[in-house]
Amino acid sequence: MKQKVRRKMSYQTKKQIYGFLFILPWFIGFLLFFAQPFVESFKYAFQKLEPSSQGFVGTYVGLDNFKFAIFRDTAFLRECVNSLGNLIQVPLILIYSIAFALLIKGKYTGRSFMRAVAFLPVIIGSGVLMQIIKEDVFSQGIKGGNSVYLFASGGGLQDIFVAMGLNQGIINFINRIISQIFDLTWRSGVQIMLFLAGLHNIPEYVYEAASLEGAREFEKFFKVTLPLLTPMILLNTIYSVIDSFSDYGNQIIQMIYSTTFDQVRLGYASALSIIYFFMIIMVLGLVYFIIRKYIVSPDE
Amino acid sequence: MRIRKIKTILFKIAKYMVLAALAYQLLYPVLYMISMSLRAPVDAYDPSIIWIPKNLTFTSFKEAFQAMKYLAALKTSLLIGVGCALLDVASCALAGYGFARFNFRFKNIFFGMVILTLIVPTQTIILPFFLNMRYFDLNGLIGVIGRATGGPDSINLIGNKISFYLPSLLGAGIRSGLYIFIFRQFFASMPSALEEAAYVDGSGPLQTFLKIMLPNAKNGIVTVFLFSFVWHWNDYYLSNQLLGTAARTMTVALSSLRVDLAAYIGGQTISDPIGIVTRMQAGAILTILPLFILYSFTQRFFTDSIEHIGIK
Repeated sequence: MKQKVRRKMSYQTKKQIYGFLFILPWFIGFLLFFAQPFVESFKYAFQKLEPSSQGFVGTYVGLDNFKFAIFRDTAFLRECVNSLGNLIQVPLILIYSIAFALLIKGKYTGRSFMRAVAFLPVIIGSGVLMQIIKEDVFSQGIKGGNSVYLFASGGGLQDIFVAMGLNQGIINFINRIISQIFDLTWRSGVQIMLFLAGLHNIPEYVYEAASLEGAREFEKFFKVTLPLLTPMILLNTIYSVIDSFSDYGNQIIQMIYSTTFDQVRLGYASALSIIYFFMIIMVLGLVYFIIRKYIVSPDE
Repeated sequence: MRIRKIKTILFKIAKYMVLAALAYQLLYPVLYMISMSLRAPVDAYDPSIIWIPKNLTFTSFKEAFQAMKYLAALKTSLLIGVGCALLDVASCALAGYGFARFNFRFKNIFFGMVILTLIVPTQTIILPFFLNMRYFDLNGLIGVIGRATGGPDSINLIGNKISFYLPSLLGAGIRSGLYIFIFRQFFASMPSALEEAAYVDGSGPLQTFLKIMLPNAKNGIVTVFLFSFVWHWNDYYLSNQLLGTAARTMTVALSSLRVDLAAYIGGQTISDPIGIVTRMQAGAILTILPLFILYSFTQRFFTDSIEHIGIK
């Protein structure tokens, strides 16, 4: 009987089952290592957790954790605002990485070298290492010592500025901008990569058609390249926002981490991370809502 | 005509100047690290030294090497990096293929879940995740077995590399969602005639996947392997917590290098950034050296594959 049923199963049903079997390992992992901790995190946020011999025992405290975070913990709200302020970098990252991707796309001598260099930030531009590089490279500039970022040591820009009669305030301001640019370029590795992938996906004949109709270079960019890149722009915006919110150097991330593992206020840390999560979701929703209107589907 | 020619030449020159500037500013930190780490500590901020150290020394490397307990950290990082990267490739290729080539119920909802895992920062779930590993019981299953056989209710996986391998095996490791996404794009862009031929020959879906699709997705595999390796290598928060005090990865060792150096070169240096900078940069170089070696081998596949991960 069973044999018969199996034979009757259509090709479509079979394919359905195979498809699900292919994603089954991921789905188990999703339930065990994402969905469950995610739900637990919500539960903890309403609890006060005390350690015991078999794990932690929680007592329900209602909204206390959230109230404390919003009304009493001044540092948390301030850092939330700072995190939102950091988003100003996102449009700059996008412009920089589109320009970079356009520059390294075509065929020219040194292409493979440039590409290898362009993806360097993907390989080493994260977390602890960046912190160390930034601290040491910029500690010199900030100390007003004898060197500045772009000119290693031995005078360079700093001396020129001093010779020009600029005061220390302006020099510090320039230093800060240079360090911001540095930060920007090192956060753009993945974005450049994705834009490059997007550029390669635009078929050559689209440009040929545009040329035939007499489009100039900048018209080609604004009327062809940019619209066809919109799906990548959305993806990159979302990636950049998430990256900015979950960076190693992000103050809230560090705050949540130290509240969890140094202060062991587990319920409170969970509440912080839940508030933070909703903040991220809201920003992403807003980003999606704004960009969605401009997206050009590649099929049209 | 001639004006046009001059114009293109000028344009070319301008382009190379911009490229050179970009390359310089991306390579600058690496050159800085190399230059710093080879100086004698007293020369660290000598204004008369431009790039080339006056007294070439390797003592900074030696001290950083010892303070980081380099070989132990290298072993831990390699075991986690290579192991997780292989497991990530396996689990995410399977899932990516499922999403790319099959239609099944709730497929879009499932894929939405993949995206959700990318959006939620690790810190939101790190505590329950950590407790999950500390009192690992597979939702009570191990407890049941434990009661039946007199074993423990749960297993402590903290300090054990399984706490890294298991999520990767099940497609839930560091940024696994992104790898599933990449594989999905890869398989979706491959011609379906390949598979149809295999099906006609009587191969099942799994066989077709292993024998036809996987060998053709070499660039995708290399890309995901590289990403997974690099991100496990650079991870700090999870590595620091899940490994406990049992072992340190390279990144964790680097993050505490400032403190650890004290034991090797005397306590006064911690408060003195100038005295420590050459050793810190040496430590940074030691940390990224294996990444560089891997990158130089895989770079070709990696940049090739970039042309295939468009949005479909």
